[in-house]
Amino acid sequence: MDSLSFFAMSWLSPELLGLTALGTFLGIYVGAIPGLSVTMAVSILISFTFSWDVNNALCLMIGVYMGGVYGGSRTAILLNIPGAPSAIATALDGFPLARKGLAGEAIGLSTVMSVIGGFVGIIVLALAAPSISEFAITFQPRDYMMLGILGILLVGSLSGNSLAKGIFAGALGLLIGTVGLDPMTVEERFTFGVIELWDGINPIAVMIGMFGISEALHQLHHMDKAVIKQKISRIIPKWVDIKKYLPLSLQTSFIGVIIGALPGTGGDIAALMAYDHAKRVTKNPDVPFGEGAKEGLIAPESANNAAVGGAYIPMLTLGIPGDAVTAVFIGALFIHGLNPGPLLMIEQPHMFWFTVGNLALANIFVLIFGLTGIRMFSKIVECPKGILIPLIFLLSIVGAYAINNAITDIWWMLAFGVFGYFMRLYGFPVGPVILGVILSSLTDENWRRAILTERGSVTDLFIHLFSSPLSTVLFMSIALILFTQTPVWSKWMKPKLARRFSN
Amino acid sequence: MSSQFSSQKTRKPGERTFGLLLVLGSVYLFFQAYSIAGFSELSSAGAFPMATSAAMVLASCIIFVNTLKLPAAKGERFAHNCLPPMVAIIMALILVYAVILESLGFILSSFLFLFITIQFLYRRSVLTTLSITLLSLMVVYVIFRLAFQVVLPEGIVPEREIIASIKALWR
Repeated sequence: MDSLSFFAMSWLSPELLGLTALGTFLGIYVGAIPGLSVTMAVSILISFTFSWDVNNALCLMIGVYMGGVYGGSRTAILLNIPGAPSAIATALDGFPLARKGLAGEAIGLSTVMSVIGGFVGIIVLALAAPSISEFAITFQPRDYMMLGILGILLVGSLSGNSLAKGIFAGALGLLIGTVGLDPMTVEERFTFGVIELWDGINPIAVMIGMFGISEALHQLHHMDKAVIKQKISRIIPKWVDIKKYLPLSLQTSFIGVIIGALPGTGGDIAALMAYDHAKRVTKNPDVPFGEGAKEGLIAPESANNAAVGGAYIPMLTLGIPGDAVTAVFIGALFIHGLNPGPLLMIEQPHMFWFTVGNLALANIFVLIFGLTGIRMFSKIVECPKGILIPLIFLLSIVGAYAINNAITDIWWMLAFGVFGYFMRLYGFPVGPVILGVILSSLTDENWRRAILTERGSVTDLFIHLFSSPLSTVLFMSIALILFTQTPVWSKWMKPKLARRFSN
Repeated sequence: MSSQFSSQKTRKPGERTFGLLLVLGSVYLFFQAYSIAGFSELSSAGAFPMATSAAMVLASCIIFVNTLKLPAAKGERFAHNCLPPMVAIIMALILVYAVILESLGFILSSFLFLFITIQFLYRRSVLTTLSITLLSLMVVYVIFRLAFQVVLPEGIVPEREIIASIKALWR
């Protein structure tokens, strides 16, 4: 009964209820504005809530997190600019839907599916936190490394027309992530003797450049075309649709929870994996993927919100962040004198149940604000491009500057904006670049840890790799994706398989 | 991501040059990665950068060769379809904005940038542009500077003094 009273704490106190509502509302708009990230908002919130009571501060920040993960989908649908990395996959089918005049329906459906995903994540967090954390302990460094590579290959193979271009983009991102002083040996990498490069290139500057600036520059090609009036007559999604897509939503929610629970991998990879899963299981979509398939919208949206609950699992049980935002949360808990980790659940179980209850509450507010604020929000799209595009440039520059108050970040953002413009022009996907930047240090460090534990022997690495089922599965998945791109596959295997399936 | 470029059957103007630049850039980065630690150890600081840059070299070569095989797109010119004057001008304006941002300060430089770009892209009367500019600048300023407390460059406008004197009026 104790846990139930802690669960309901934020539901019953008007102050905590109000703060959660405010946080969720702010989060939706923060998540939706390109260049303003949830991570940034939560870090700023730490700085002016550290004098507050810990529960009040957590309510506001959990609201921002939950709302922000959902909010990124709105700009992805309406503008084809993912407000957050976790909405990259949402843009692939969400934007084509909006272009067909189905923006309202797309947003309504993504809201409901986000909330369903969110609840799946929270339920799993509440029920399975202890056992999932035990599973995560058995992960080897090589598994993390392969997860990083798998993530990049997945996003590379599904967001463009050629895997070579996807791999190039992903490798470029990984390389950008290595710039600066090596965290293990403090050797300079790609610094060219410039001291400003010692800290590396800010990933948020790369992200704003690649998505904000380069997309807005592309929009300039279509200035003469009239803006499609976004029909938002129907916001509450059809019951038939919800019922039809519920199984897919639940499946991808579970993908989201599992990916979210893996340390370091959050909603972004979860969404991409879910998108890939939807593509595989949907044999005959009504509309092809990439042209406005509802399956392609539902899968990433269920998964990225489910990943929120998942990301809390390693954070509350092990003290390891599930993603960037939970990393900031760990910082916040430290400031408030709490020590997240295995002891937190034993010594202060009320913190766990309070968090679970608060996440559930924030999720309900996502549903309320998500289904009511759309009319106002859609006005952004009806705003003439001649005004909107200059404002996107302005927000991108302000966003890039605000990360570190450094003009250097603006230069990086511009450089990657122009480079990203040409990449898009010549059919390169830009998603893998961002993923590469985010996963770079994780992949690098775990590769080195893996090879160090084998005393530098690649043969030993392979032998031990096949002794673990998890490592074997990960390795085979990577090998399979690469194999499907070789001439052997396209000339021999593919026709054979196609023949066998058609018979 | 941009769906309009997803199905590629022809080669766009400048695509060969871009592909070649990527190959050259990747090779250069590979040598930079090599210079970190050479082939000394698999766990060295240079091993991972070398692997990624090698992947870039390989991928960019495949892309370049594939591009060479494609026929050129008919009736497309670089200055018309790939880098139209409007895009180039806006790129230049953003560059100028970034240069003057710290010295002139956020308010003045953003005002100039918004006014010029909106006038250029929206093409309405000067008065309309002026009011749109002022309104949007005010909203951005209130949200970011006042609500989110984002530090923006002050430049030559004594913002803090102005805010302080406004606050003093209320007392």
